[in-house]
Amino acid sequence: MRKSVLIFVFFITNIFIVSGQGIGSPGTIKDDGRFAASTKQLNQFFRRFNGEESIDGNKRFYPKDSLFQNPNLRKGFISLLFDNETSGISPDLKNQFIESVASSNFPQFLIFHRTGWYAEVDAIFNYKGKREDVTFIMKIQPEGLGYEWVIDQVVFEPFKNLFNKPIGSEKDFLHPLSHELGFMNMRRAFQDSENPESFTPTSYSPDYLAIFLYEMKQNNLRFETVNGVKFHFFQIGGWYFEVNQFNRPGYNTGWLISNLVKLGPGDKETLLRYIYDQN
Amino acid sequence: MKNKLILFLGLFVATSVVALAQDNISPARKQAIDSLALEKVKDLSKYIAIIGNKETQFSEANRVMDRAEELFAPGAEMGVSSINTNEIAYYKVRRYFERLMALNYDKVNITWYDIQYVSDLERQPDGRYVGVITVYQRFEGTSIETGMNYKDTTKKDITIYVEKKQTQIAGRTIEFWDVMLGDVRVTETSA
Repeated sequence: MRKSVLIFVFFITNIFIVSGQGIGSPGTIKDDGRFAASTKQLNQFFRRFNGEESIDGNKRFYPKDSLFQNPNLRKGFISLLFDNETSGISPDLKNQFIESVASSNFPQFLIFHRTGWYAEVDAIFNYKGKREDVTFIMKIQPEGLGYEWVIDQVVFEPFKNLFNKPIGSEKDFLHPLSHELGFMNMRRAFQDSENPESFTPTSYSPDYLAIFLYEMKQNNLRFETVNGVKFHFFQIGGWYFEVNQFNRPGYNTGWLISNLVKLGPGDKETLLRYIYDQN
Repeated sequence: MKNKLILFLGLFVATSVVALAQDNISPARKQAIDSLALEKVKDLSKYIAIIGNKETQFSEANRVMDRAEELFAPGAEMGVSSINTNEIAYYKVRRYFERLMALNYDKVNITWYDIQYVSDLERQPDGRYVGVITVYQRFEGTSIETGMNYKDTTKKDITIYVEKKQTQIAGRTIEFWDVMLGDVRVTETSA
């Protein structure tokens, strides 16, 4: 414990006294250490988490560098990658996480191109003349000569009530001998019923993304703006964490861990269902 | 026949690996590209300060706007948000400069913090590389008539596109890496 405190103090001191490499022209303002300490891009979150940059942030480490992915460097960095002002993650949980991630026997790293991390993007669209919130779940995939972000799911309230499949005695059905009548009673599904989804299999779940894309093509949906982004990480075995951007005064700013969960059996699937709004 | 096939397959794989390796950017090359990109960002910073300066003549500001626009890939946009709202307002680069020039302050002072962050370069589907440079800008505007003094600090996340190009010099083909600026995200900070 005392060792962790020492590492933390060492890091804080070093980050605060950073001179930085400015854009150089005369009259530049000297950073008091706050911007140096801030995790300015998610890219820097990856570097710090993996121990791939120097404490002062001036050097990116590569495999040939002696401190590349050094466990003590990582412990120091990761302890600074938590939101310490609002998130309330217990010190004990943080320590367990740090020890698990930066252990010398089985260190775990974040890998940009690997699956297991998602962006959640909050946007505003105009839907049939009304401003509506839309949430996109996005992931990275290989494409052509490189990589791209793609939309994996969309969460859009106006679509949710479109498909309320009745249950029990409320649910219409096509009786099991309908085939003998050449399905003439299909009229019930497509003409008389207000809930045609009643006639779908138990396993049916609507593809909201397909509907969203269709509505866009019909010019019923118009993009207005983006108003928030956060990231979900499942790349570390047995753990889930969420990364948010904190724009506030002080040194604990930028992209930081705002939520940390130690996963038990089945927890990952439950969390993914929650994130994808499939509950 | 089988041996011939294996040999052919081996040669094919080896060639592909060499081709792939040629497209990778070494740390030394990355550092050179970073410097080139930072030069462009430095130029942009200089141009922004000139455009925003009230003492700059209209014709000169327009000329500088042209130069600044040339740094950007076609269609690049500025996405601006403030402390009060996270919603992004979008401006074409030229429109952003014009708004900066039209600000109603008698005195405008734009300076930059001595800190920056240059991301890794990632390859996109068309083969070009993309990166992001983060810089911080301090803006101070004073209106003599109203005595209003406005100050803000913004974080600018600037997209850079990196592409290998070729040119002919004295009949020889020379390859070089070119950097263009892309979309810029401007966020007001609490600093």
